[in-house]
Amino acid sequence: MAASLRQSIERFSDPCSLDASVEEVFGTVLGWDCQLDPEPNLREEEAVTAVVGLGGVLSGACILRAGGGAARMMVARMTGMEFTEIDETVQDGMGELCNMVAGTWKSRQPELAAGCGLSVPAVITGRAYNLHVHAPEFELRHAYCAEGVSFAVTIVCDGLR
Amino acid sequence: MAEIRVLIVDDSSVMRKIVERALRQTGLQLARVYEASTGTEGLDVLAASPVDLVLTDINMPAMDGLEFLRQLRERNLAPRVPVVMITTESSEEHVKQAIVAGAQAYLRKPFTTEQVKERVLPLVGAA
Repeated sequence: MAASLRQSIERFSDPCSLDASVEEVFGTVLGWDCQLDPEPNLREEEAVTAVVGLGGVLSGACILRAGGGAARMMVARMTGMEFTEIDETVQDGMGELCNMVAGTWKSRQPELAAGCGLSVPAVITGRAYNLHVHAPEFELRHAYCAEGVSFAVTIVCDGLR
Repeated sequence: MAEIRVLIVDDSSVMRKIVERALRQTGLQLARVYEASTGTEGLDVLAASPVDLVLTDINMPAMDGLEFLRQLRERNLAPRVPVVMITTESSEEHVKQAIVAGAQAYLRKPFTTEQVKERVLPLVGAA
């Protein structure tokens, strides 16, 4: 299994797969047409970061990060509600978006379908923080824009069995 | 189209809203929507209230959707009520597990209204 997974690492780390997963999730759930953002503005004071762990034959995480305003806008679109603050519903919605991106990306990798599971989402809010993974096998990170807001999605792999 | 009573089990309140909205968008008339944030809560709802359709997430903390479904069948709660599993996991193995546990249909998140129409409406005689 390890040899075959390692042979697939080039495909796992193909950014087109991440882009297609983001397009599918944000298009279906929010009706947004996402474009790659070469100069993302992710410097809002407060950020919301959702993390879904990947475990099993591939370990790592899927990370969705957006500024507070962008996160409120996304979840408002999902729920039909309006938000003036980053409350539990906004955190919940960001976690679900991240979960769907992780699941969609994983479903595009046949080797991972049955042997790799997803954790329930965790959500971090705050200012001026960074997530760091030591010596990853690969890391995919793209920023996207839609409806005037930017967000970033990262898939990081720190182990292949 | 007759009105139906639905139970939606998902630890995410946002997903519960999305599922309810998707059901309404298919044209289904919902007489009552029960929500449960855990499998245990879902079993309690079914023990107390008759429903016509159950939709449950699989990946939930404490009691996942498959265990919820197994307990539902073991306790003979809502024996003829169709159950739809909803999840981000869509491998053949996951689908098989859901069907073996007693689910009648399967929706992968994100889903479209058309997919809900195609897979859910026939289960409640509304296709």
